[in-house]
Amino acid sequence: MKAMRQEFVDTLLEVGQKDKNLVVLVGDISHFRLVPFAQACPGRYYNVGICEPTIVNMAAGLSLLGFYPVVHTIAPFIVERSYEQIKLDFGYQKLGVNIMTVGSAFDYSTLGCTHHCYVDFALLKPLPSTQIFFPASPVELNSLFKQTYNNNQISYFRLPSFSHEITIEPQQIKVGKAIRLRTGRDVTIVVTGPQLKTVFKALPDLEKIGVDVEIIYLPTIKPFDGKIVTESLKKTLRVLVIEEHSRYGGICDDVLRVAQCIPRTRYSSLSIPDDFVREYGTYDELCRLLGFTEDNIIKKVTSELLAKKLEYVRI
Amino acid sequence: MVANKNQMNNNLRKKIVEMVYKAGEGHIPSAFSIVDIVAYLYDKVLKFDPKDPAWQGRDYFILSKGHGCAALYVALAKYGFITQHDLDNKSKFGGILGGHPDRTKIPGVEASTGSLGHGMGTALGIALGLKIKRQKNKVIALIGDGECNEGTIWESALVAANLKLGNLCCIIDNNGSAAQVLPVSNLAKKWKEFGWTTHEIDGHNEQEIRKVFNEAQFSFDSRPKAVIANTKKGKGVSFMETHGPWHYKVPSPEELRMIYKELDV
Repeated sequence: MKAMRQEFVDTLLEVGQKDKNLVVLVGDISHFRLVPFAQACPGRYYNVGICEPTIVNMAAGLSLLGFYPVVHTIAPFIVERSYEQIKLDFGYQKLGVNIMTVGSAFDYSTLGCTHHCYVDFALLKPLPSTQIFFPASPVELNSLFKQTYNNNQISYFRLPSFSHEITIEPQQIKVGKAIRLRTGRDVTIVVTGPQLKTVFKALPDLEKIGVDVEIIYLPTIKPFDGKIVTESLKKTLRVLVIEEHSRYGGICDDVLRVAQCIPRTRYSSLSIPDDFVREYGTYDELCRLLGFTEDNIIKKVTSELLAKKLEYVRI
Repeated sequence: MVANKNQMNNNLRKKIVEMVYKAGEGHIPSAFSIVDIVAYLYDKVLKFDPKDPAWQGRDYFILSKGHGCAALYVALAKYGFITQHDLDNKSKFGGILGGHPDRTKIPGVEASTGSLGHGMGTALGIALGLKIKRQKNKVIALIGDGECNEGTIWESALVAANLKLGNLCCIIDNNGSAAQVLPVSNLAKKWKEFGWTTHEIDGHNEQEIRKVFNEAQFSFDSRPKAVIANTKKGKGVSFMETHGPWHYKVPSPEELRMIYKELDV
């Protein structure tokens, strides 16, 4: 499967060659990978500098003139440092932008907390006119970008370092729609991002112990597809939510909002605890540290969702 | 100073005071320091069509120091973008004019400003967009010297110079506000060091304003222009020409009479 970063530059090149209004501004990230775009689309690519708030400001000016700007750099430097620029220059002014980041969650696992971003969903969801995507395979990124880049919304694309490597059919990928990847009757797993891979790894052992799992996968975070989650929870009455995001403000909150309308629903989550991820190492090592493993998924399903008697529910 | 012209701008000053008095809020001195420049820009420099505010041939004026919006509002009313009714309803429920300008409501306003340090970067993006399209519209941003405390101003200054956005002009309303907080000394030298062509003028002297804009070349692939306009906060009314209580003060009826008397209108 193609690397996510390669799909990112290929998608921009594909769209940029067809649409003269696509302009790409980067903050010294992916510069060399975007050389083909710069060559194919002269005058529409700028490695602006290490000045993220100003890059976002500038994108608003381009949007005012009818361009479709793409702003690209590391997630914390756009979402957290330039938050007010996103809020005022696009949200308040009703302008469109495509914010495409790498380095969200703990993807930059060796670089420390300055380069982590676990609260991007929580920050961007409350802003009016935001759309949030977490495409974790090349086909999702390509499809979602082409569906939305010119729709005058604040479109946030959180690009993971690694794909989930599960095959998603192009016709399944629609803005605002979750995808039911497996139908089951006992437990619903709602998952976004590359952790879909971990879910599929846990499936054989869950099947062995007789647990029939329904998998709802979310390439779109906002708008949240409450309909499909509601349908599933009405059937299973048990849900495990998995996301590489802070336990506050991510899809856990959206699922809870659905679950509280369905009596007797049991809920569990696997997300990033309320702390900085201060450890270094590989992405896989940090996944193990935080419990993003098949063993932990099985444990949560069996001890928190299927146990006859619950001592407490961790929310 | 041209007497008749000054007299006209005192009429605008009177409208500013009248609007703020009716609204019960507003930044009069911050508007008075820029009103002579804003009036000149709309009178002689900017191309626009009030019947078609989105006209593609228009020049772009971005008031980055959004709290000076009263000066912009009276200019927009004078040239037919908005009405006296709009001025009379500033900051009132249902009105389109607020304490900071909102582009989604006000015809002729290009950017919603108020949080300092945003409008300048937006102007930079507009200038870049026009350069990409090879459209020769001018882009003029007006920022405050206090706004020069914001880091984004200097980020924008670096980027505009690096991209050779000669179609961009930034007027710095040097009314001494920065000195009250975090002084930014020798603005002309700083902007020059950041790669801009710099000019320094008396921002209340029409001849100097005219000269700098008559000589200004707006072109692609050249240095952007910075105009340091030395101004006075509250210019035109002696007891308002100061930093302090008048920054966001609404005059009493008695003070209103005193202001009108000084403006001699």
